[in-house]
Amino acid sequence: MKRAFAYVAEFDSAAAIYHAAEQVRDAGYKKWDVHTPYPVHGMDHAMGLGKSWLSGVVLCGGLTGFCTALFLQFFTQVDLYPTVVQGKPTNLNTVPAFFPVTFELTILFSAFAVLFGLLAFVMLPRWNHPLFGSKKFARFSDDGFILVIEARDAKFQEADTKEFLLSTGASGVELVEEEF
Amino acid sequence: MSAIKSVDNLPNDGEKFDSSKVALVKGISLILGGGLTALFFILWLFLPGQMQQSMAYSWLFAVVFFMTLSIGGIFWTLLHHATNSGWGVVVRRLMETLGSLIPLYFILALPLLLPGPRDALWEWFEARQEMIQAGKDHSSPEHLEAAKAEWGQSVAAAEKKLAAVKAKKEKESATATATAGEKYNLEQQVIAAEGKLEVAKASEPTAEELASEGQLHANVGLYKKRGYLNEVFWYARYVGYFLVLGGIIYFLRSWSIKQDQTGDFRYFRWMRRGSCGFLPLFAASWTFVVVDWLMALDYTWFSTMWGVYLFAGSALNSMAILIAALTWLRSRGFLKDVVSMEHYHIMGKLMFSFVVFWAYIAFSQFFLIWYANITEETKFYLTRNTAYWNAYAIGFLVIGHFFLPFAGMLLRRVKTVPYVLTGIALWNLCMHVLDIYWIIIPERGPSLTQGKEMVIPGAIYFDILAFVAVGGLTVFLFLSRLAKASLYPCQDPRLEESLNLVN
Repeated sequence: MKRAFAYVAEFDSAAAIYHAAEQVRDAGYKKWDVHTPYPVHGMDHAMGLGKSWLSGVVLCGGLTGFCTALFLQFFTQVDLYPTVVQGKPTNLNTVPAFFPVTFELTILFSAFAVLFGLLAFVMLPRWNHPLFGSKKFARFSDDGFILVIEARDAKFQEADTKEFLLSTGASGVELVEEEF
Repeated sequence: MSAIKSVDNLPNDGEKFDSSKVALVKGISLILGGGLTALFFILWLFLPGQMQQSMAYSWLFAVVFFMTLSIGGIFWTLLHHATNSGWGVVVRRLMETLGSLIPLYFILALPLLLPGPRDALWEWFEARQEMIQAGKDHSSPEHLEAAKAEWGQSVAAAEKKLAAVKAKKEKESATATATAGEKYNLEQQVIAAEGKLEVAKASEPTAEELASEGQLHANVGLYKKRGYLNEVFWYARYVGYFLVLGGIIYFLRSWSIKQDQTGDFRYFRWMRRGSCGFLPLFAASWTFVVVDWLMALDYTWFSTMWGVYLFAGSALNSMAILIAALTWLRSRGFLKDVVSMEHYHIMGKLMFSFVVFWAYIAFSQFFLIWYANITEETKFYLTRNTAYWNAYAIGFLVIGHFFLPFAGMLLRRVKTVPYVLTGIALWNLCMHVLDIYWIIIPERGPSLTQGKEMVIPGAIYFDILAFVAVGGLTVFLFLSRLAKASLYPCQDPRLEESLNLVN
């Protein structure tokens, strides 16, 4: 069984896809994306993308690392088994000695949060993607400027969406199907 | 993204800075700067001894703080060219103007070269005189006489020893029982004794040797550093620093202005190539300025991170003043068409990064010294942990200079709202004033009272007076120099890129 997955529309230039993206944004589509061979400045604005929440995940990761490091060091070396090194006190004044580890663990946990948060946000890893079946789509890694509107978008209509994409200046539109 | 901005829509000769719009600020800063500087120097001449000495610290504090702004201006200009940046073309003239204030600090720091304030600030001048005196005492005619007599005795002893060994050899060789081995041993003893006599004869004491020995015994630390810490080299360095720093910014600024007038892209290439060569010179000059002026406040103390520490603060400091100055100029109607929120965003990010970098260096310096716990190194922090300086450092430097601005600038939105960012920039500036204050002033009490007092009562008023005086002159000169050329480099080949900056 097959069903429509998305429309893949190809554009000839960065400028063309930039203006098409503005029109798609204004038409109210939500589940769509743009694929270009190189980064296009201002595309996030043209697509109407808001701020990513990844930074929030990173903040949580960093704070977790900060607290973990301080807790582990304080608990083991001040509370559980007071360890005197270089005649330094075992109380709150020891805290500078714990900073390097705290600093490193904050960074480590932030980096983990970036990696795993990003993977979760983009739903990776996965085995395959229906778009990989499209010859037109594959050209985005060469010289194609590709705009994809997915069928799960509430505004998606097979006939209307194709006409709309052509009206934004697409040089070709292809319907990609997925098996289920 | 708004429509593409084109340089064709901008006036060909850039934007003139109309001083009459800021005449009030300019007038006030001139009156404050000139008047208070005069007042400060009059008081300096007539106040009693200890207060006079303590005012040298006030003046050093004020001059160094405002000089860090100018140093940061030079650094950002250099970095902009060396990295071939496009983003900041529209604000580069502000950086150049800030950097070009450097001759002002050459003049303002001149009084510190006079023996009075100089010896009050840098104890090594007096210690060096004492050391030289100790050397002279040690090499006086009586001492030389005694040393020569001692030397004569050692030569006589060596001669006596040689004669004895020779006599023994004669005696042994006359008897037939001596083996070849014994004869060889005696031969060797004679050679050794002859050698010792040669050495003894050659080491005739001279006045110079005795003087060096006396200096070494009087102050071993200063004696070993005599090649660097001496008056002639110190004065030569003072001139050298300003020649290098002033030369760098003079060339960069004048090429930039010539490019405005002629539109010749050759200057663009000169600035770019020149900056790559100027950067190491700049780094070395500023490092040794702070070694000579600040680290030498206690000549027995040293830190290998000192130059970077002061550099990090300067870069942060001057990015903060650039943001504040930009907002103020825009509120008066300047630079409206060329500067956008995107420029603020980048400047905010740079300021944020240097808050982190400053903290990283400041903490590393503290951490390594605290942990290693070596007497010569810890004295800097011991002084600054005494009395209220401990609470001062934790409150202002740890929390105020790092944690608060760090947390405050994490959000992206904060860096794109000019007034909020300017507020944070002003906060950072205040914190950096306190940082420079903390570097210089804790040295004052112990230094002037031979360790009896931490604080000189009433001296803080002169710190404030000096700060306002130098600040007034700085603002006045900055505004005057700003009017000399267009507010942005109007013929720069990357101007259009900068106008259409997107983060």
